[in-house]
Amino acid sequence: MTAPTSSDAADKLNRLAINKAGGRMVADYWEDVFLARERGQKVVWYNGSALNPIFQAAGMAWCHGEAFSARLAAQHLEGPAQLAGSEYGYVGELCSYARTHLGCAVLSQERSAGAGNGPGMVGLPEQQELASRLPTPDVFVNAYAGCSTGQQWDDISFRVFGKDVPIFNVSMPYLWSNRPGEGYMAGEEWEQSSRYVSDQLHELVPFLESITGQPFDWAAYRQNMAYIKQASELRQKAMKLCRHTPAPATFWDWIGNVAHINFLPANQQLVDFFAGVLAEVEQRVADGVAAVRDERYRVYFDGFMNWNHLGLLSRKFAAHDVAVVAGRYTHHAFWQEPQLLDPEAADPFLGQAQNNLLCPMNHATRTTTDLVLRDCDFYDVDGIVFHSTRTCRAFTNPQRLMAKAAQEKRGLATMFFEGDIADASFYKDEVLESRLAAVLEGIDVRRARG
Amino acid sequence: MSVDPDTAREALAALCAVADDPDAYVVRWKERTGGRAIGVFPMNFPSEIAAAGGALPVVIQENREPDSLGRNLLAEFYCGYTRNLADQAAKGTLDIYDAFFQADHCTQLLGAVDVVRAEVPDAPVFFGQLPTSMSDSWAGERALATMRSFVEEMGRFAGTPVTAAALADAIAVHNENRRLLREVYAARRAGNAALSSPEMQVLVKSSMVMDTREHTALLREVVAGLAARPRDDRVRLYLSGHLSHAPRPELLAAIEECGAIVVDDDLFTGGRHISTDVPEDGDPVAALADWYLRRDAVAPCPTLVKHETDWEERLVEAVDASGAEGVVVLMVRFCEPHMLYYPELRKRLNERDIPHLLIETEHEGLPVETVQTRVEALLERIRRNAPLEAIR
Ligand code: SF4
Ligand code: SF4
Repeated sequence: MTAPTSSDAADKLNRLAINKAGGRMVADYWEDVFLARERGQKVVWYNGSALNPIFQAAGMAWCHGEAFSARLAAQHLEGPAQLAGSEYGYVGELCSYARTHLGCAVLSQERSAGAGNGPGMVGLPEQQELASRLPTPDVFVNAYAGCSTGQQWDDISFRVFGKDVPIFNVSMPYLWSNRPGEGYMAGEEWEQSSRYVSDQLHELVPFLESITGQPFDWAAYRQNMAYIKQASELRQKAMKLCRHTPAPATFWDWIGNVAHINFLPANQQLVDFFAGVLAEVEQRVADGVAAVRDERYRVYFDGFMNWNHLGLLSRKFAAHDVAVVAGRYTHHAFWQEPQLLDPEAADPFLGQAQNNLLCPMNHATRTTTDLVLRDCDFYDVDGIVFHSTRTCRAFTNPQRLMAKAAQEKRGLATMFFEGDIADASFYKDEVLESRLAAVLEGIDVRRARG
Repeated sequence: MSVDPDTAREALAALCAVADDPDAYVVRWKERTGGRAIGVFPMNFPSEIAAAGGALPVVIQENREPDSLGRNLLAEFYCGYTRNLADQAAKGTLDIYDAFFQADHCTQLLGAVDVVRAEVPDAPVFFGQLPTSMSDSWAGERALATMRSFVEEMGRFAGTPVTAAALADAIAVHNENRRLLREVYAARRAGNAALSSPEMQVLVKSSMVMDTREHTALLREVVAGLAARPRDDRVRLYLSGHLSHAPRPELLAAIEECGAIVVDDDLFTGGRHISTDVPEDGDPVAALADWYLRRDAVAPCPTLVKHETDWEERLVEAVDASGAEGVVVLMVRFCEPHMLYYPELRKRLNERDIPHLLIETEHEGLPVETVQTRVEALLERIRRNAPLEAIR
């Protein structure tokens, strides 16, 4: 088997056209964040769960730490922030989202202190485009499911800012499922955890009011959730159409609109965007248009996104005629259970809390395995590609056991490749190339044997 | 009580044997008593609950074997302790436990415990998440509810409810043991150099494994029989960090062989583990919840978040109190909580001009010569009282 060239690769991937327009929405959102102070808005830095509809209803500007690190990495602008983190003492094996973002915090804090006139701007002379414009926080809110590092990361940011910026922690119980009958959205653990998180979100409201000096707008919150529910339903429907062969869209397309569903403002524009996504996917199905020209293999992607190499990876798989049809990151997060959202409910936070709890890293391995194998059946894949995400142990935790289960229970092909979320140095292209070739050959052999 | 030196040495040797081979002790204990053993994952599950349920609680130790079978179960970029846990599970050495309890949320540990759950399918693995955000107004209530769930689960496992009286008894027995260990620590801080750093580790490590009454009896013999030995003029060091498991004794010995003496530590298998007693009055379950919250205040743990207390402040206070001239930070390679907190420690130590050195450890391979070269450089710097900066 000869390795396809990158020019083949570029030709073979047929991305959803609408995601290009969607890119503008994301850029506009960040522009808006950068100008928040000028508008007199309070700025919240948060990590983990999508609490943005709450911040939106509180009248704040919100900056998701991981999203900012991911954006820096995707634009290859992460270097200086990571260097600042390293000089401050963060070891290179630490979660690269955290150390990129903490690098920004260190720079920001230093600059504020130097200026001596309150919060400044995250800045590096060589990174004017993006990092230098991030406003420093008025408040931190942490609600990290499934990863202890996520919670600690904000606590360290709080310390880097000299404990001067207020912080609120929403604790998200890990769904371990001790008892029979407990599991995905089931059992006493689920009921209790949902209420526990919802109760904390109710505590968050007066805290935010104390920051903004304004009453929380419950009507706006309910409206935000109605938009999010609609947007998520449209996205879910479009994703499920990738069950078709050839797949009308790929995992890379769903990566392309993660930002939208994860943190863009909840409004009609968001709903319209996902209506457009669904329409395009439906049209492709009707026309028999493939996302990967000559689709020959279908695989599932398990791992956090490798933002530094997003384009390269998407082209590489397509070049091998591989349609990556779904993934744990894209399909098991981001309001993936919209039926739980009830904007008119007596407790409108319950559905929010439940979706937040259903983070793909927040389940014990056997639950995660069941979910992934369910997806593999649904999308009828030949195998699973595991992105062994070097500095994100939360995502890699179940991978080896899942690979074993996928082989034993479904006879699926599995392969691992090394990389990272936001540190390019951990990615080894030759390793991926040779393992991918080998796994595809294995699939060919299996097919030939019938 | 006075004990002759031979008896003391024999008692110490018995504790060393347990620290060297905890599994053998557990097997013997089970044979001897017909009882069941509970594998406890570090760092915050209260052993008192398992003891009150009539079982032997054992804080699972890293073993000495090179990892092999477990390598397929957890990625290579996990801390040595968690990878070794996976290896122990794969090799069947954890089969000596009849159940497991887990209270901590470190993400790597959760991954390893899930491997144990898969590889030791006949033993229940109970996870109750103690609150990790310690400043919340609801943290106390949450800690209490989690402790209750542990007690109930232990009762289910034992086949009979764990009584308040049994809990109170276990608490008193563990407090006595901790107090005695802290006395040895206090004596070391005050200048008694009778026990080396590896020997101090043996005392704490064996306490995590043995039946507590038995441990206390042997510990008393050690304390009563060892003659106090004044410190010499070696450089006084403080050891900090090393979460969840014990650093290799050879590493501790290598540090002292360079011409240093360890005078105190906040290692998990050390000062951190024995730092706090459980209140002996009132409801024992509430007392355990209280212990958990206070323990983090006494020895702030980087796996937990809080607003009021700081590890770095506690560290410099302890350095001052012990008269240490420098700090060796022992960091388990890939230990995320420690990696995240380390810059705060470094900053504070630098502000106070306290010389310090960061040494990372792994399950396999101890580069003694490199470690000693770096420790010697630290000691030299201390002796010369040179401008003080982190030596990395
Ligand atoms: S390790 Fe992974 S899950 Fe945890 S904070 Fe970092 S990116 Fe998030
Ligand atoms: S706290 Fe550190 S040493 Fe302990 S299990 Fe977690 S990563 Fe390993």
